[in-house]
Amino acid sequence: MRLHAWWTVPLVRLYPRAYRERHAAALAATMQACVEQERQRGINRWVTIARLALDALCASILVRRDLRRSPPASQFSPGDSLMHSILHDVRYSIRLIARAPLFSMLVIATLALAIGANTSIFSVVNGVLLRSLPFAEPDRLVLLHKGMTGQRMFGFSAPDFVAFRERARSYDGLAAYRTVEFELSSVAAPERIKAARISASFIDVLGIQPALGRAFTSEEDTGRQPVAILSDALWRRSFGADPSAVGKPVTLDRRAYTIVGVMPARSAFPYSGPRLNNLPAAVFVPISFSDIELRAFGSMYNNSVVARLKSGVSMEQARAEATTISRQVGVDVYPAELRAFASNLTTTMTLMQEEVVGNVRRVLYVLLGAVGVVLLIACADIACLLLTRAAGRERELAIRMALGAGRGRVMRLILIETSVLACAGAGIGVALAWWGQRALLASAPIDIPRAQEIGFDSRVLAFTIAVSMAAALIAGLLPAWEASRGASNAALKEGGRTGGAGGARQRRIFAGLVTLQFACAVVLLAGGGLLIRSFVRLMAVDPGFKTDQVVSAATSLPASSYRTGADVRVFYGRLLEGVRKLPGVVAVGAATDLPLTVRERRAFTVENPSPASTSLAHIVANDWVAGQYFEALGIRIVSGRPLSDVDTLVSEPVVVVNETLARRYWPGENAVGRRLAWGNPDNHGPWMRVVGVIGDIKQAGLSAATESQTWQPWAQMPDQALGSNLTGVFRSMRLMVRSQVPPVSLVSSIRDQVRALDPALPVTEIQTLDEVVAASAGPQRFNAALLGGFAGIALLLAAVGIGGVLAITVSRRTQEIGVRLALGADAAAVVRMVLRQGMTLVAAGLVIGLPLALAATQLLTSLLFETTPHDVAVFGGATLLLCLVACAACAAPAIRASRVDPMRALRID
Amino acid sequence: MARPLPDLPPHWFQILLALADEDRHGLGIMSDVLGRTEGRMKLWPGMLYRNLSRLVDEGLVVEIDTPPGAASGGGRPRFYRLTSTGRRACAAEAERLNRFVQAARRKKLLKA
Repeated sequence: MRLHAWWTVPLVRLYPRAYRERHAAALAATMQACVEQERQRGINRWVTIARLALDALCASILVRRDLRRSPPASQFSPGDSLMHSILHDVRYSIRLIARAPLFSMLVIATLALAIGANTSIFSVVNGVLLRSLPFAEPDRLVLLHKGMTGQRMFGFSAPDFVAFRERARSYDGLAAYRTVEFELSSVAAPERIKAARISASFIDVLGIQPALGRAFTSEEDTGRQPVAILSDALWRRSFGADPSAVGKPVTLDRRAYTIVGVMPARSAFPYSGPRLNNLPAAVFVPISFSDIELRAFGSMYNNSVVARLKSGVSMEQARAEATTISRQVGVDVYPAELRAFASNLTTTMTLMQEEVVGNVRRVLYVLLGAVGVVLLIACADIACLLLTRAAGRERELAIRMALGAGRGRVMRLILIETSVLACAGAGIGVALAWWGQRALLASAPIDIPRAQEIGFDSRVLAFTIAVSMAAALIAGLLPAWEASRGASNAALKEGGRTGGAGGARQRRIFAGLVTLQFACAVVLLAGGGLLIRSFVRLMAVDPGFKTDQVVSAATSLPASSYRTGADVRVFYGRLLEGVRKLPGVVAVGAATDLPLTVRERRAFTVENPSPASTSLAHIVANDWVAGQYFEALGIRIVSGRPLSDVDTLVSEPVVVVNETLARRYWPGENAVGRRLAWGNPDNHGPWMRVVGVIGDIKQAGLSAATESQTWQPWAQMPDQALGSNLTGVFRSMRLMVRSQVPPVSLVSSIRDQVRALDPALPVTEIQTLDEVVAASAGPQRFNAALLGGFAGIALLLAAVGIGGVLAITVSRRTQEIGVRLALGADAAAVVRMVLRQGMTLVAAGLVIGLPLALAATQLLTSLLFETTPHDVAVFGGATLLLCLVACAACAAPAIRASRVDPMRALRID
Repeated sequence: MARPLPDLPPHWFQILLALADEDRHGLGIMSDVLGRTEGRMKLWPGMLYRNLSRLVDEGLVVEIDTPPGAASGGGRPRFYRLTSTGRRACAAEAERLNRFVQAARRKKLLKA
């Protein structure tokens, strides 16, 4: 202004301050130029100046009026004026964001992580829980199983299924299916694949169409013809997605099957959710019940049944019918000696979707909730940052308001800015989620059902957009409100410096945000802590066997090459002998099942039972073992002897029992020498003498209660049983090799031994027992790692929040602190003061958060192992950890406060 | 764009017209308008800037940074640029005036 003529000064002063600041220079310059222009037209300078004065007076009055009125919405772009001005704000926001790159990057990175994590988890929730099963009208599909009071549910036997299908009227169709294994050769190196035997009606019941070819005909099913339908995955992997594969042969268990169709890609059936028959099949064959299966009353309860309810038939009606049929079948179909047993059989029916995903629903929703809380904490951090920055922008916003921008307009400006930040965060977040979802599935335990259906669809995208907008609102609303408020105050005061009242108000808001963060963090920490403690307890469970230095490998002998039981017996005898001779091998055993995954449950009868045991359910887990099984696993012998090579076909049938069985059925007595038999008291098999009692080992996973278990010598099974191809139980054995050398180094030698006996036989499921145990705790590890990770992130974000807020407070109170120091307060007192301020907020957070955590952890009850949801140690630990981290976060600002130089602080301002 | 644009006051039309071919500062607009109206429309600085503020509020005009090499008449002059809405509004006004001229021609007030 110094360059302009003196007379312009009073004229410019006529305008209101905000307008003047903006236009003074241009006004003065133009006025001077005006005088020059008029002079060239021969008009006297003073006349012009008088005109200019009149003009300035009128204009200043009109400008004041303009400023008092909020500007009307632009009339010149009707319809799109809002859009237009929003676009304008967006452009403005982008410029602002680019001008503070560090701040913006911090905010965007935080949002990207939080939104990405939310999107990943939601995509899993969406694929697994929300999307309906990829079948026609999936809400009419039900799964049927058999049950018995006090027992886990089991499948239908073939005669049960046939009888049920004949009598049931509630369904449009019923189909049985069973998971089996095949040796797949003829396409590449022989391998073992999972397969499903299915009724001809199976594809019809699901309401799907084969992607290629056709479904099975009922003649192929009843006629037991060798036909197969490939899964999409196998078709692509082994047949290069060649459409002409249909009609070609495929060799399963060394027998040629004709490929008649290919399944659609979208599903991997059977799903892993249900308890039975839960392995996705690579190939499907007709279930073709054999005559033995069709007469298997009271045994082979291993077929799952899927059925489509008739429209209009309710679950209750169908259940009632199933109960009636169950009772009828027991009376009409079962032989007389099994009627008592059959009368205990029940039929259970569940909605297929429920059965498939019911087990993971809780944990997935807990994870979604947890990751949502992380986002909330992140938003609070961002709100703090924005509030701090908005304080610096008060002047700009005040000018905007002085120029007629309403409070709403200013709020909108800030909300648009946070929205732009959230959009950037969402963009990066979706990319992160894409990657995170893969990492999640790769690290997930295999039993997340429908994992192959998880992906990004419009619903995931809509969720991401909704979450991003919610984040923008949550993070931006408070700063926007405060900024518009502060700006209007500042505009009125014409001062521009926030007074004490405003500062106190902002301190309260900061305090509220930090308290909220810590309340949320303590909820997550308690939840994560509980899962971690539960996992630690699980890993501390003694499985009953020694896991180190043991490797296991499985083989299965196809019936076409090993027709008789003698063939099977000779093969495994030679294999065990060959492996035992390998250098470094300490002991070699084989069993039909690995510990922790014993599948077989049998009814049994005790000879001369003690009166106390008669009321117990006589069901036992059983494993058939060969070689030095007990030595290889390092299982403790309590009394008697383990099974050994002396137990043969010609010696007395023997059995080894675990401590639990001995204690339950022969309490206070020596079990060795007693006898038991398979079957019911009125219909049992030959007696088997108990020769040994051994320490308990876990049969169904580390977290399951120890069951009664028996071990029967595989070698004592008759040739007929070993050669049977019905279930193939005795044809598939798992070798367990204990060695002095690292067990992995033995794998190739074991393969060589198998190859020497049968070059075409694949060796599968090679794993150390450590891996078996780890896999058994997979879901718990996954839950603990994920929720623990979220809790860690929450803690970090909360620490950043409290650290940042204290740093701001300290810098605003520099003067006050300087005065205190100048008046003789020592540095320690200042540190204490700042720490006290921080810890007060943490304490407030705990007061709110701990009751919330106590309520929230109830949701985890079903996920915990030997840990109550109110575990004192976990809650104490979470509180302590929170306080320690908060202390560390407060330390930096506290120390900075104590180093304030009183002289400099007092000189400020 | 369902509704037609409202009429422009004459001085707004002249300001927009001045900006139609190039970005100008306040004095530039004033001289352009003065020249075109043969001295009949003198936009005095106070009213000029007040109107420019309102045009900015209406979204017809934006303030831009001073282009490099622009004449600085003591301090930094403010340059203004027509927005796309401003261009539409100005063109619509010109079209409206053109219709009156056409009508005058049809009524033989003007030579064709």
